[in-house]
This record gives sequence, C-alpha cells and structure tokens, in this order.
Amino acid sequence: MAHDWQPDFERLVGEHQSMVFSLAWRMTGDRGLAEEIAQDTFLALDKNLSKLQGPEHALFWLRRVAMSRSADALRRRKVRGVDLWIEIEENHGAQPEERSSPLGARLEQLMTTLPEPQRAVLVLRYQEDLTPEEIAATLEAPLATVKSNLQRGLKLLRAKAECNLKDYMRPGQVLGGA
Amino acid sequence: MDEMDPFESKLREAFVRRPAPPGLKRRILDERARLKKERRRRTIMVWQRLAAGFAIAAVLGGGLTWRHVEEERRGKAARQEVLTALRITNQALDRIQARLAASDRDDHATGERQ
Repeated sequence: MAHDWQPDFERLVGEHQSMVFSLAWRMTGDRGLAEEIAQDTFLALDKNLSKLQGPEHALFWLRRVAMSRSADALRRRKVRGVDLWIEIEENHGAQPEERSSPLGARLEQLMTTLPEPQRAVLVLRYQEDLTPEEIAATLEAPLATVKSNLQRGLKLLRAKAECNLKDYMRPGQVLGGA
Repeated sequence: MDEMDPFESKLREAFVRRPAPPGLKRRILDERARLKKERRRRTIMVWQRLAAGFAIAAVLGGGLTWRHVEEERRGKAARQEVLTALRITNQALDRIQARLAASDRDDHATGERQ
C-alpha cells in the first residue's frame, strides 16, 4: 500500500497547512515567522515527496520538519518568546477568525515563556494530541526526556497560570488534578 | 498520561489548530512553481555550458590535430626534397668521377706513347 501511494502536493498543503502553521506559530510566537516556516516546510516536503510512504508518514514528516525548523528559527533569532509575543500583538495581529479566546490567548502567551524543549513537547501533546512515544519519535528525543519535559513544562505552566490567570479560571480549576 | 485534568483540558481547548492565513497555500504553490522554473533554467544553463565546453574542446582538438597532420606532411615533403637533392648531387658526382677517370686514362696513354 505504502509504495502505491501517489502524493498530491497541493492536497497535502491544503490538508496540513493549518497544522504546520499552528505548530510554527506556537513555537516561535511570531505570525510572520510562522508563515515563513510553514512555506519552507512545504517546499522541503516537495523536494522529499518521493521518499514519503503514505499519508501518515507525510503527517509525521511535516510535524518533525516544522518543529525542527521552528527550533532553528528560534535559535537564529535568539529572541525570547515573550518579546516575540509583543511583536505579534503589535505588528502581526491575527485575522479576526484566527483570534482565540482570551483564556486561550493568555495560555499561549504563557507557553512562550517556557523553555523551548518543554514548549515543544506541550505543543505536540495538546495541539496534536500525540502520546509521549509519538512526541519522542517526532522530536527524535529519548522517551524519558520527553516525559520529563512534559511533566516539568506542565508544572511550570500550571504555576504560571495560577499566578497570571486568576481572572479567567475558577479557584481550584487551574491546579485541578495536579 | 491519557487521563486529563481540567487544566490539561483547558490547554487542549486553547491549543486547537489555528486556521492558516488566507493565501498561504497560494504563496506556497507560487513559490514552488518559481523554484521549479529556476531549477529548470539552471539545468538548461548547465547543459548549455557543457555543450559550449564540448564545442570549444572539439575546435581546439581539431585545430591541434590539423596542425600535427600539417607538420607531418611538411616534414615528409622536406625529406623528399632532401632525398631528391642528394640523388641529383650523387648523379653529378658520378659524372665528374667518370670524367676524371676518363681524363686519367687519357693522360696515362699519352705518357706511355712518349
């Protein structure tokens, strides 16, 4: 089956552009940069189309390359996420249909203050709904590291949310299930 | 890991995929077409340079071969001329030698008679 798969580039872009763009945006916090990363990721996909064995492989490949390019972009720019979010608010305002709820926006903002490895696993966990094993495969990282980053990232985010999001969440809800 | 607490559920709600910006797909497809065109142009340019290189090499090779053949032809002609000259000289010397021999014989006969 895998070898009979005929990839349709245009269809792949249509199906996965939202996923790639969202990953890049949440990793970098910069809408413009996320668009560039999404474009680069799909152009790289075009070069590697013949190596892909099926739709699942294409999805896995896109996630892996989008995450890796976002990490590269962050390293290149050497800008802290929180600064980037000032940029996003000022220069790269989202279209009305792209705006998330106030709580969602605040959570995303808090997410950008996390260290990059923790942010990466949390984005893959909660945006893409991946298991730690799948995250480890996507990031090419040891499973133990992924689990540790998930726990630490979640703990840190929970603590930040407890301090910053009191207006949005009922008491006890933020810490619920800790 | 599979059971989510309320905070994780909030995270999941907050982290739904965002819609891609309008026109992103168009831009990707346009850039892809541009890169393909650029690659094709570069490939053509490489082949053109290769063809030009081959043509120059062929002209130079032809010129060198022609020069070699021409030099060989001139060498052969010069050798032929030298051989002809030697043959003529040889014939002239033979004639002179024959005359001298005839002259010696005449002198010898005259001496004996006296």
